[in-house]
Amino acid sequence: MNERSEADRMVQETWFQRTIRRPEIGAFVVMVFIILALAIASDGRAFNALGVKNNVAIIAQFGIIATGAAMLMIAGEFDLSIGSMIGFAGMSMAMMLKWGLPFGLGEATPFMAFLLTLAMTLSLGWLIGTIVVRSGLSSFIVTLGFLFFLRGTTEVSFRLINQSTQISGLPDYKETNWFADLMGGEVFGWFYDLWFMLGGNLNRKGEQWVTGFDARFLWWIIIAGAAYFVLSRTQLGNWIYATGDNKDSARANGVPVNRVKIGLFMFTAFCATIFAACQVFDTNTSDAAKGNLKELEAIAIAVVGGTLMTGGFGSIIGVVFGAVTVGLVANAVFFIPWIDGSWFRVFVGTVLLAAVFANERIRKRITGGI
Amino acid sequence: MTEPYMRVEKLVKKFGPFMALNGVDLEVYPGEVHALLGDNGAGKSTLIKILSGVHEPTSGSIYIEGRAKKFRSPRDATAAGIGTVYQDLAINQLMSVTRNFFMGRELTSAFGKLRMDEMNQIAHDEMLKIGIDFSDPTQAVGTMSGGQRQTLAIARAIYFGAKVLILDEPTSALGQKQQMEVLKTIKRVRARGDIAIIFITHNEIHSKLVADRYTFLALGQVIGSGPKAEIEAQDIRRLMAGGAEMKDLEHELSQI
Repeated sequence: MNERSEADRMVQETWFQRTIRRPEIGAFVVMVFIILALAIASDGRAFNALGVKNNVAIIAQFGIIATGAAMLMIAGEFDLSIGSMIGFAGMSMAMMLKWGLPFGLGEATPFMAFLLTLAMTLSLGWLIGTIVVRSGLSSFIVTLGFLFFLRGTTEVSFRLINQSTQISGLPDYKETNWFADLMGGEVFGWFYDLWFMLGGNLNRKGEQWVTGFDARFLWWIIIAGAAYFVLSRTQLGNWIYATGDNKDSARANGVPVNRVKIGLFMFTAFCATIFAACQVFDTNTSDAAKGNLKELEAIAIAVVGGTLMTGGFGSIIGVVFGAVTVGLVANAVFFIPWIDGSWFRVFVGTVLLAAVFANERIRKRITGGI
Repeated sequence: MTEPYMRVEKLVKKFGPFMALNGVDLEVYPGEVHALLGDNGAGKSTLIKILSGVHEPTSGSIYIEGRAKKFRSPRDATAAGIGTVYQDLAINQLMSVTRNFFMGRELTSAFGKLRMDEMNQIAHDEMLKIGIDFSDPTQAVGTMSGGQRQTLAIARAIYFGAKVLILDEPTSALGQKQQMEVLKTIKRVRARGDIAIIFITHNEIHSKLVADRYTFLALGQVIGSGPKAEIEAQDIRRLMAGGAEMKDLEHELSQI
């Protein structure tokens, strides 16, 4: 009689073996490849002082909404209304700033405009989540409805109140207002100061060229950091995984499945609102087409980062790698003049398909091939 | 004789005109395995759903330690010390052993932060107590065998206060070797002495290996019950088939 138990059949792996089997590794390898390829093809311009700032700006934009989309996907649902929510939130803030608060409440400060808009978008997120969990309908179809509904509402509101689907020429609030500066100003100036002191970051006159990153970089770090902490270290994180994996068994063990889902629909609405606020206070403009297709890009980034379409599994670190990859490729056209910008979509489509196959392999490995 | 931990009296459950249970009595004692046997449709599932608070009985009473109790929800049943391990086990494959063990009842410190090391340790220790030495409680449940998953679900129910452990056909979907593992687990839980086990099965051999007491259901009624010594092997086979005589069956089969 031998003494082998079933536990002995798990082979102990080395650190290296464990690392290359991590779900984020595919996204990491693609990211490193893109960084190197872009650096070479642009003669380093993509990573000079301004290049880094511009790349980080778009990466952070993608990262903010992809974090929300990934959290929701891990809990087993989709949100196709993210892009329209961005347009709606941007419209709402810009209109309040230009035309004053609703119901004749007077002039809007940037903070009040943001707060009222956030109250609306969080309510919409709550409504979407409640419809999904109460009706038992697929979130795909419910949020598709809100994709059209919110985009239409945005355009109609613009035309009714503003007579035009654009607002431009708002005052540069970030110069005078603490809140606008927080959303649309600059952060991490010390990074570029240091770069300048070390002899780089010079413009043609030999002065300091770039003074800081866009504020959305900080917001991305906060949102992704919080999401990472919640998912991997907290009770709520365990509930999110359990909800997405098998909601019936989660419910049988006392996990408040519906509240988890509704909360995450509100979280994607929150991310969309932050996205919009950074855009509005950075550029002092808004337009009805803002955020178009962003929901699909957010989902694509989440999948490239290793999030399973079926829920129950995913990693915020992978989503960070995915956001860097997709952001760099989206921006590549500005650094490589001879390239056709539409290659971006060709690339995203290809990487997305490859990622889905890779994720399916990971899922099979974890579940023992079922 | 010790007091039964749980006693069920004249339990009746009707679904519309359909009489699912027609006056069922049942007693379960700590430290005993009570095998609940019966054919498909005999009312086993209805009975355990009432005991675990999923359905409310039409009439009849449930006594826990001599006191009458009404279960309006599974939560009530859990609070009364009844832990049910269903066939699907309520386990999530993609999550780790520890995360499954504490699913919905996590140990947390400030801000809902998980006490992960402590949870890993408890999950490991509790599973070791009933027979599985799991070196890595962070591994995904998807990599475990069916028997190990069964053990996880049982250890979880016990840790969270089950005094009556209801096992719904725990051996039915497993291979031979894993069935034996589950039976060993049942024996180990029995050996603790403080937990009553209701073991639902189709398998006569399995019930004979571990049971101390039997109840046979057929068409919503108890057609035989008693301690092991009183129920002879021949009796078991006859009662398992819902009371139909084996000889009659053989006769009928030969005529086809």
